[in-house]
Amino acid sequence: MKRLGAVAALLLGLLVVASIVACGGGSDSSEDVGDAGGNGASGSTLRMVGNDPLTLDPALVTDAVSASYIVEIYSGLVTIGQDLKIAPDIAKSWDVSPDGRTYTFHLREDVVFQQTYRQVTAEDFKYSMERTANPDTVSTVAEAYLGDIVGVKEMINGTASEISGIEAVDDFTLRITIDDAKPYFIAKMACPTAFVVDKTQIEDDRRNWTKKPHGTGPYQVKQWKLGESLTLQANQRYYAGVPAVKTVEFVLSGGSRLTMYEDDEVDVAGVSVNDIERVLDSSDPLHSEYLSADMMSVSYLGFNTQKAPFDDPKVRQAFGMAVDREKIVEVVLKDMVPVAHSVLPPGLPGYNAGATVATFDPEKAKQLLAESSYGGPSGLPKVTLSQVGAGATAGDDTQAMVEMWKKNLGVEVEIQQTDQATFWQDLDKKSYQMFAAGWVMDYPDPEDILDILFNSKSHQNNTGYNNPEVDRLLIQARTEQDSSKRMALYQQAEELILADAPWIPLYYGRDHVVVKPYVKDFMLPPVVMPYLKYVTIDE
Amino acid sequence: MQGLLPYLVRRLLWVPVILLAVSFIAFAITRFGPGDPVRVAMGQYSDPVVLERVRHEEGLDKPLLQQYGIYVKNLAHGKLGESFTYRNRDVSEVIFPKIWVSARLGLVAMLIVFAVGVPLGVFAALRQGTWADPLSISTLLVFQSIPVLISVPLMQIVLVLKLHWLPAAGWGGILDTHIVMPALAISLPGIAGVARLTRATMLSVLREDYVRTARAKGLGEFTVITRHVVRNSLLPLVTVVGISLATLVEGAFFAEMLLGVPGIGQLAFQAVNGRDYNIILALILILTTTFIIASIAIDIAYTIIDPRVRYERREIG
Amino acid sequence: MASVDYVLGEDEVDRERPSRGPFALAMRRLLRKKIAVAALIFIGVFYFCGLFAPVVAPHSFTDQDLDAVLQGPSLAHPLGTDKLGRDLMSRVIWASRTTVVVTVATLVTGGLVLAVGLGLLAGYVGGRVDTAIMRLGDVFFALPGLPMLIMINATLGGRIRGMGWLQAMEDGLRINGFPDYVVVFGALSLFAWVGGARLIRSQVLALRETEYVTAAKAMGASTARIIVHHLLPNVANIVIVSLSVSLGAIAGTEIALSWFGVGVQPPNPSFGVMLYEGGNIRTLQANPHLLLVPGAVVAGLIFSFNLLGDALTDVLTPHAR
Repeated sequence: MKRLGAVAALLLGLLVVASIVACGGGSDSSEDVGDAGGNGASGSTLRMVGNDPLTLDPALVTDAVSASYIVEIYSGLVTIGQDLKIAPDIAKSWDVSPDGRTYTFHLREDVVFQQTYRQVTAEDFKYSMERTANPDTVSTVAEAYLGDIVGVKEMINGTASEISGIEAVDDFTLRITIDDAKPYFIAKMACPTAFVVDKTQIEDDRRNWTKKPHGTGPYQVKQWKLGESLTLQANQRYYAGVPAVKTVEFVLSGGSRLTMYEDDEVDVAGVSVNDIERVLDSSDPLHSEYLSADMMSVSYLGFNTQKAPFDDPKVRQAFGMAVDREKIVEVVLKDMVPVAHSVLPPGLPGYNAGATVATFDPEKAKQLLAESSYGGPSGLPKVTLSQVGAGATAGDDTQAMVEMWKKNLGVEVEIQQTDQATFWQDLDKKSYQMFAAGWVMDYPDPEDILDILFNSKSHQNNTGYNNPEVDRLLIQARTEQDSSKRMALYQQAEELILADAPWIPLYYGRDHVVVKPYVKDFMLPPVVMPYLKYVTIDE
Repeated sequence: MQGLLPYLVRRLLWVPVILLAVSFIAFAITRFGPGDPVRVAMGQYSDPVVLERVRHEEGLDKPLLQQYGIYVKNLAHGKLGESFTYRNRDVSEVIFPKIWVSARLGLVAMLIVFAVGVPLGVFAALRQGTWADPLSISTLLVFQSIPVLISVPLMQIVLVLKLHWLPAAGWGGILDTHIVMPALAISLPGIAGVARLTRATMLSVLREDYVRTARAKGLGEFTVITRHVVRNSLLPLVTVVGISLATLVEGAFFAEMLLGVPGIGQLAFQAVNGRDYNIILALILILTTTFIIASIAIDIAYTIIDPRVRYERREIG
Repeated sequence: MASVDYVLGEDEVDRERPSRGPFALAMRRLLRKKIAVAALIFIGVFYFCGLFAPVVAPHSFTDQDLDAVLQGPSLAHPLGTDKLGRDLMSRVIWASRTTVVVTVATLVTGGLVLAVGLGLLAGYVGGRVDTAIMRLGDVFFALPGLPMLIMINATLGGRIRGMGWLQAMEDGLRINGFPDYVVVFGALSLFAWVGGARLIRSQVLALRETEYVTAAKAMGASTARIIVHHLLPNVANIVIVSLSVSLGAIAGTEIALSWFGVGVQPPNPSFGVMLYEGGNIRTLQANPHLLLVPGAVVAGLIFSFNLLGDALTDVLTPHAR
């Protein structure tokens, strides 16, 4: 009896101590991100929802989420402006040599790093790009974004300790030499991999500097609690004018975003397919707060042109024509995305509004299948559609398509879902017959999609597409200086590609959000680009 | 306390062995399975040359046993490795804040389970024979049967959208309203279980001789209940703690994902999808260790509370 | 965690004369409890639908009707349709088949074969075999079940599904998604056997020393014969009780796995997937039937198993009256 009492007292004591420790201590008793059902934005704080960035190191970033933070915290030679064109940033102007291979950037003299206010010079840019190419940094994208610069490949291989093609002529003049006269090079300089980082900070604290990096962008990191919140604070010394919104808080922990919005816990929230009907209804209060914008991205069904039965273009075309994409978008996706009729999404230079993809025609589809080398549905091997997804997040649209192939073509397609890791690995190995994927533009140039995905020699060519005529057009377009001729080349290539049908383009991207009425000038960036600095908040 | 020490030592000796076995199984599964964290980290752009180079730098192309050996050696030095997904972050700094969050959530849930369950069970036992007993038991049973997956969305509709009592998602520490819904959702099934067990044990204790003796001695009913009956009913509850721990962990997984609580449930799911080997392994090791310690602690507690138990253990265990 | 585990009083086994007496008596008392009967009926209906889904369900689980999405109850679709226009009632019936198949398969593999087999072996043979099996059990018991299952299914699941011989069996047996089932119940079995094995082992340890068994040994009966003829019938009632109780837990785990997306893959329907889709708070507001219908069925199933378990406890522990 006595012992039992003692034990009980001990347990109770432990519990009390534990609760005290729990409330008082803990480095992560986070600040309350908005009250439940309370008032709106306090002063000039913008509350958003987001996901954790995987990294805040511009040299390492490969995903759009991390990039979206990085473009606010850091900046580079050029940036993407609100008109989606390349605009000067830290480089106030630049000259291109007549042969198109040497770029001389003239840097602003009023750019300083956050926190330390050390002035940014051309030397800092050289350091930053060399750091990215340095094998010790283990960047997986150095080649993709900087590979055109002379000397980068050697540095990545470890045969050189600096990039010969980058020269800091003087404190505010940077000269970069590239391997060929590529007009799209300047667009790549708007990507995070080419941003400038603070050498002093990095050498001081190699492990932890990314937690509060000294960027040069409109915002700096005030606090980052992994999985909980990320707070950005306006950079008071931002050279292009201090942003109006002083603090931006990102809630990272997940949960139903729209519910949080309705509860006044956040100021912006995405609208999903479950809510779009409500939001579009003019009698619903959310209707006036709704905003949508086209994204520079495209979703598609890809065929492995090296694997049966999709090695026969007639089979690919048949599958394309047997799917009623309009109906799927209307019924399953509630018209939230535009049906794609081309490879290049709208808004991208080179977008061809007149490009045509075969429309829904089940009779013709059946005919094509019969005419193919397989003779019809019974001659086909087992067909599998592979996509990323866990069972519970199964693509509704692909399930609808499978039904359509069954009904309109008489072909049973099996859906195979895997997780992202397996999917990409198998995609690289070209083990799939047919797969569902998407492509998000990194910079506003058709090279970023056509050359990368359809050039027979490209690593990312996951359809195995091989058309020498397309290759020729793409290679020629790389160095064509006249911009309208260049776009014409890409459009020609696109036409050939659409006819060959290694893809069924499905839809373009479109984002839908609701934004609180006191948040003004909010834009949905079609590509990853800084946009928070344009936002203002009414009191 | 005689047989206890050697028993304890024996149990503890097995712990590192079990942990090694567990870690090896987990290690092998992640390495053998398809999917490559480096490939995931590369995103849209894939370059096989770069992939090979990075894999080599991360040591992922060495033979399995060698990789495992390196891992164990680092483990012995207290290093859990670096995360593949969150670049350049130590696994420990990614995991520990989240464990702390989940632990607090679990603690609160456990508190609710016992603080509500035990009195409810006592109440039901004392009211046996009246209508209150089967009514409360049936209600509890209903609550126990609704999975977290279903109760959370329903609670969200009622408590957040209709009544505006609670926030929709997120986390604010242990004394913040954000903890109420997940803790409630996780603890509901447990409350019922504990209540029923308390009731059953109390009923059997109430029949014991010493209770009648206490009553005969003229002690007040209240004293009888609290000092004798309740104390002796606590014994089986100790075992239940162990089982509830496992159920809580599982319930926590779902609640965390549904309610945006930045705990290890979410992290585990992300890590598996992203093939973040080091995080997966660390999580499994930590959870396993917790379970083992918990079960040893329960065995000890059992032995302390009821001396009779010790002897049975020696014969069979 | 789905573990074949059940706590019984030691005095259940009749040490002198092993027979089915006490068990049959218990069953009779069980059936007299009305509430237990109700639970049994629900479970029975569920399993019936599960086993005879192709006959019972009015539609196939893939029949889409894009002109009739997200409808409420109607004559054509008594429980409404989902977002692809599939009949909800049919999908529920087919989903119960998934649960039934996985549960039964897990039970047979993990519960019967593994638990009984290993438990008997450990208890009777003893010595090193016993220690080995018990330590193995410790490892599996210590592993956090759900995370491990998720990990196994997510990582190895894909590879196993691709295995040639499984694909061949799928075509041969005409069961769509056969490899899926194998992955799920295979993984579940790995964790389900420990509790049952331990229980059986302790019973066997007790039985081993009875006069009955000693006599049989003296008469020259082989180990195998003793195990099968003398030990097995006596552990049978415990086995049956613990199996029936764990049916609920295993079903719950299967649902949890498919909620995470690592269970049976679409288009094979499963409750977990339906709960996930319907549980999205926005969906719930707009189309509550998507959650409430499968939710009610799942809750009902678990409730019935709990009731059954309760009733069995009452019936088999005579002192609590």
